[in-house]
Amino acid sequence: MKADTSAIHAGFRGDVASGATAVPIYQTVSYAYKTAQELADVFAGRAPGYIYTRLTNPTTTALELRLSELEDGIGCIATSSGMAAITSVVMGLLRAGDELIAAAGIFGGTVSLFENTLGRFGIKTHMVDAAETEQFAKALNEKTKLIFVETIGNPRMDVPDIPAVAEIVHKANIPLVVDNTVTTPFLIHPEAFGADIIVHSTSKFINGHGTAIGGAIIDTGRYDWVGGVFEDLKKLAQRAGRLAFLAFLRNLIYRDLGGCPAPMNSFFMLQGLETLPCRMDKHCENAAKLAKYLQAHERVCWVNYPGLADSEFNGRVVKLFAGRGGGLLTFGVGGKEKAFKFIDSLKLARNLANLGDAKTLVLHPSSTIFSEFSAAEQSKMGVGEDMVRVSVGIENFEDIKKDFEQAIEKAFEVQR
Amino acid sequence: MKLVVNGNELDCSDGLTVNDLLTEQNVKMPEMVSVELNGEILKRGEFDTTTLKEDDKVEFLYFMGGGDGFK
Repeated sequence: MKADTSAIHAGFRGDVASGATAVPIYQTVSYAYKTAQELADVFAGRAPGYIYTRLTNPTTTALELRLSELEDGIGCIATSSGMAAITSVVMGLLRAGDELIAAAGIFGGTVSLFENTLGRFGIKTHMVDAAETEQFAKALNEKTKLIFVETIGNPRMDVPDIPAVAEIVHKANIPLVVDNTVTTPFLIHPEAFGADIIVHSTSKFINGHGTAIGGAIIDTGRYDWVGGVFEDLKKLAQRAGRLAFLAFLRNLIYRDLGGCPAPMNSFFMLQGLETLPCRMDKHCENAAKLAKYLQAHERVCWVNYPGLADSEFNGRVVKLFAGRGGGLLTFGVGGKEKAFKFIDSLKLARNLANLGDAKTLVLHPSSTIFSEFSAAEQSKMGVGEDMVRVSVGIENFEDIKKDFEQAIEKAFEVQR
Repeated sequence: MKLVVNGNELDCSDGLTVNDLLTEQNVKMPEMVSVELNGEILKRGEFDTTTLKEDDKVEFLYFMGGGDGFK
């Protein structure tokens, strides 16, 4: 199947009992067995079966199968959020004293998870500039256990040279973790460029409608857990082969951390996936048009969209995303006051902390999702006081443009 | 042709794909099974396209959260 067909059909071929074509929502905590022996066999792993929705659930299984196929993985574990996915991956691979390297322009919540929450458990994070590939190599040491990048840093809009980073990572015999939330499998297959593990916040473009929180972990099957640097997994890989990491998560880390999705939320993600290819086309088309419009606007000081021809990352956009720059951009109108006035004046676009919705969304990152960081820290992460982040929706472009036009004019009325 | 499935020797018809074998062997919960062919885990998309050959070793594996937690 081609990817846009898999988005609709993979993981579920209709309900045998009822003929239902939508994936049923198995809103259940647990699963009953006729005999004590049957349940004991399932618990012991001697027979397949569902035990408890914190571990597995049939609705969530359909989502996992579909995501795995779309990312060309060997398997997937769906989680309650993107943060839960990243937490499971890092806690599954690193121990106190271990280190990771992350691109500095990644989502502030992920930075906080690495530095604050996981930092409390003795895990050290080195932040490097994704624009400069050699910085990843320089930050490596014998304690480094993984490298983490986003396909497009949010909101810095920087694009790491994923195949070049993968080469550095693999020379060190450690895995490359790629967050594919903002690009989705319809702009890039990170597996083809060397990603070992892919994570998603499925709440964003995959869900596409701002209706549910979720995440996912996909193992691409590229990393050799038998010959790798993780002692726990080497032992397990003797039994589970390349599935060792997913088995380790499912049977221990993910199971114990409790970050499972609600079955209803898995259903929302499956619904979202069906239209994802069409939506991504429109998100990219509208974002490219909006970026060009803003760039030509005399009131706009700067625009950051990797799909623009003059972006320093445009070469990587062509190489990695077949020239499509995604649905996110940032821009400045000259200061926090004007940025606030612009946001307050919008009539169509919504001011909220999310992205990837069918609706156009705006956010002032400095005072919201990055407000826990000092001005100096924000600057390192590519966030400034004048920055407005836009998640460009799939409305008619003329309506988006008209809304931005009138809001920019209003932003400048303050100064008169 | 002869195959070794989960450690047991089996006589199977020629030209069988992995998906055919799952059906023929009436494998439980086929949507949850992982298939290892000669030591390599197959991707699900390969179940339909992989034709089994004489003496292939096939293992059906499940990782559904049971077991000992691999401590």
